[in-house]
Amino acid sequence: MVIRTDETDRIERDVWATLAGVHDPEIPPLSITDLGIVERVAVTDDAVEVDLLPTFAGCPALDVIRQDVEAAVRASADGRDVRVRFVFTPPWTSDRISEAGRRALTAYGMTPPGQRGKGPVVVPLASLSRSEGVICPFCRSRDTVLESAFGPTLCRTIHFCRACRNPFEGFKPKTSRVPSRAPLPPA
Amino acid sequence: MKEDPRIALLLALADDELIIGHRHSEWTGWAPHIEEDLAFSSIAQDEMAHARLLYGLAREAGLTDRDVDALALGRPPAEYRNAVLCERPNGDWGFTVARQYLYDTADAVRVAELAESSWPELAEIMKVIQLEEKYHADHAVAWFQRLAGGTSLTARERFAEGLTAAIGEAIALFEPVPGEEALVSEGVLPRSNEDMLGEWLGHVGQELEAVSLDYVLARHGPVGEMVPTGSGEIPLEASDFQVPGVVRREGRWAHEGGFAGAGGRKGRHSEDFLPLWEEMTALYRAHPGARW
Repeated sequence: MVIRTDETDRIERDVWATLAGVHDPEIPPLSITDLGIVERVAVTDDAVEVDLLPTFAGCPALDVIRQDVEAAVRASADGRDVRVRFVFTPPWTSDRISEAGRRALTAYGMTPPGQRGKGPVVVPLASLSRSEGVICPFCRSRDTVLESAFGPTLCRTIHFCRACRNPFEGFKPKTSRVPSRAPLPPA
Repeated sequence: MKEDPRIALLLALADDELIIGHRHSEWTGWAPHIEEDLAFSSIAQDEMAHARLLYGLAREAGLTDRDVDALALGRPPAEYRNAVLCERPNGDWGFTVARQYLYDTADAVRVAELAESSWPELAEIMKVIQLEEKYHADHAVAWFQRLAGGTSLTARERFAEGLTAAIGEAIALFEPVPGEEALVSEGVLPRSNEDMLGEWLGHVGQELEAVSLDYVLARHGPVGEMVPTGSGEIPLEASDFQVPGVVRREGRWAHEGGFAGAGGRKGRHSEDFLPLWEEMTALYRAHPGARW
């Protein structure tokens, strides 16, 4: 059982602040809290527990993220045990990425998931899927095509902008009928 | 002690993903263009990750004392429970994409059912898998439309040949697993394999009819003869040279007869399995206990 005290509350706030400084090694501008993979932080008398959600099950960065989280949290844990694990409920979906995370992706040259233009879109015959019309992170045009749903990492798609003639990457949308929201850190 | 039937289910699911993932990974560096190289490499990475989750569950649930690596790479060939379809060589591009279409549409049916399993740990893994498999299905459908409905007759013909070769063994993806009755009655497997096969085959039949390729269902035959397991525990019989039957009944395609010629769920494989196994497990066997 988790018994809350002023001390555990303080450590919990510290841990959340620390986690905001841990970044996804495959997308460096994005912190793991903005990515929405921190599902739970619990502080007890003798341990700090952090539950993380994997973005994609086969993501090779997961072990690195776990190690980075362990190392970072240890500094705020006041000598408590640090237990970091990946859990699968709820499934991570890309709508858990925060507004700050979406802005960081755009600044990095990557379209955030689900960012589409409005109105009819030309769908070329040879395109691989229906997700055309995502907004170009460079010139904001939506005259873009999906070149491939599979990119350099499992979480990226490859697009081409016909307006500014630049290739660009998108964060792969992963959605569920059951909406998922990342928990907010304690105030 | 009677074996818990859940291990047979987990090994069937995980071995399918591992072995087809291994075949997909063989396209790395060799696919017709770089986007497909990335696509098959990514799909392989996903499938192997799904296998890892399922092997991990088998260990956590106490169904085996072997860890993930020992399950994936440390078993003798006859202990693998994948369907034979998954182990066939990639061969022609037409066969590769035909198999991916059949496998991933079939997988979508069983994953959707298992996401509602009464075994909570399996259901939660399946919900994660379901979100990722969507991209595999999109990839398969895009190739289906491009090759079956495109302007190249050669492409259409090669795709049809691939479908003809793969369809019989794709049906055997739904070969019942040992102990299935108990799994169904407990809701671990919410619907029987035969029931799921009916849904899948009806759906695939409609899609093939829409592009006038349903003749592959009537024409399909074995792609290579079955061989008995290395242990010889399942002897070779005349029926081994048959493939599961398909008939058109009351306006839809349906399975007829049993699963003669199949046997993947009992550990029987084709002549194509051993070379795959030797390559896949070479490092693990050469360096027992190595960590990476």
